[in-house]
Amino acid sequence: MAKKRMVVQFGQGHSIRRVDYTAAAERAVRDALWHNSLTVAEAFGFPKSAMIIDVEIGVQKPEEVNVDEIIKVFPYGQPSVRVVRGGLDIPKPHREGINIIANAAVIVSFAMEAEK
Amino acid sequence: MTRPTNSSEEKRVILETGSGNDLYGEDYTKAACRAVQDALHHSSIIIFRSLDIDHKTMRVQVTIGVQEPDKVDTTLVAAELPRGYAEVTAVFGGLNVHDPELGTTHVVATAAVEAYVPIDAAAWRLCNAV
Repeated sequence: MAKKRMVVQFGQGHSIRRVDYTAAAERAVRDALWHNSLTVAEAFGFPKSAMIIDVEIGVQKPEEVNVDEIIKVFPYGQPSVRVVRGGLDIPKPHREGINIIANAAVIVSFAMEAEK
Repeated sequence: MTRPTNSSEEKRVILETGSGNDLYGEDYTKAACRAVQDALHHSSIIIFRSLDIDHKTMRVQVTIGVQEPDKVDTTLVAAELPRGYAEVTAVFGGLNVHDPELGTTHVVATAAVEAYVPIDAAAWRLCNAV
């Protein structure tokens, strides 16, 4: 197996006013990315474009996440997105509506092998 | 196990950041420890398992920003780091939120956790994913 995982980044995002699963998911991805600064590509002398980025998102209504919007968050690398049922929806106490919470994991890998 | 070789160089693989508060105790060490935990748990450096690198070779450089850096017990903060060997320094930064009416101060600490690992870049090359 040549695909080697380097780092897994975690984040959480919310949609509080609008019922927008895509916005919550996008914020979760940004939370995951902007808690960390990866220098693993430079450490190995690899181009950042070689980063394989597997995004996993958990929300209560996975079918409502627009994956194309999530892909746009990534400035480089080869992102792909998988959305599963997860996250959390919490009803508002005094009126109709929900708070949406999305969980995100961003898995960064390289297809790499030892020399010789 | 992938051992450091003569051509290994210490490289930073990640900078993890976090923030932590002590809301009522004005305990700068407690805020700093929480900031470190926040920083640590937004990522997993799985490279040690993927490439079979001994995590004891990792040097962890921790910088804490608080408004009163002298009050941070850096030995206690270093004990929060579970892997590698940690060096902790506290500098002026973070944020104190003072309420002049109640006379209370919320302490906000920010943490930067940098992981340095000896890597022999020449020993690895990109290939096609299987």
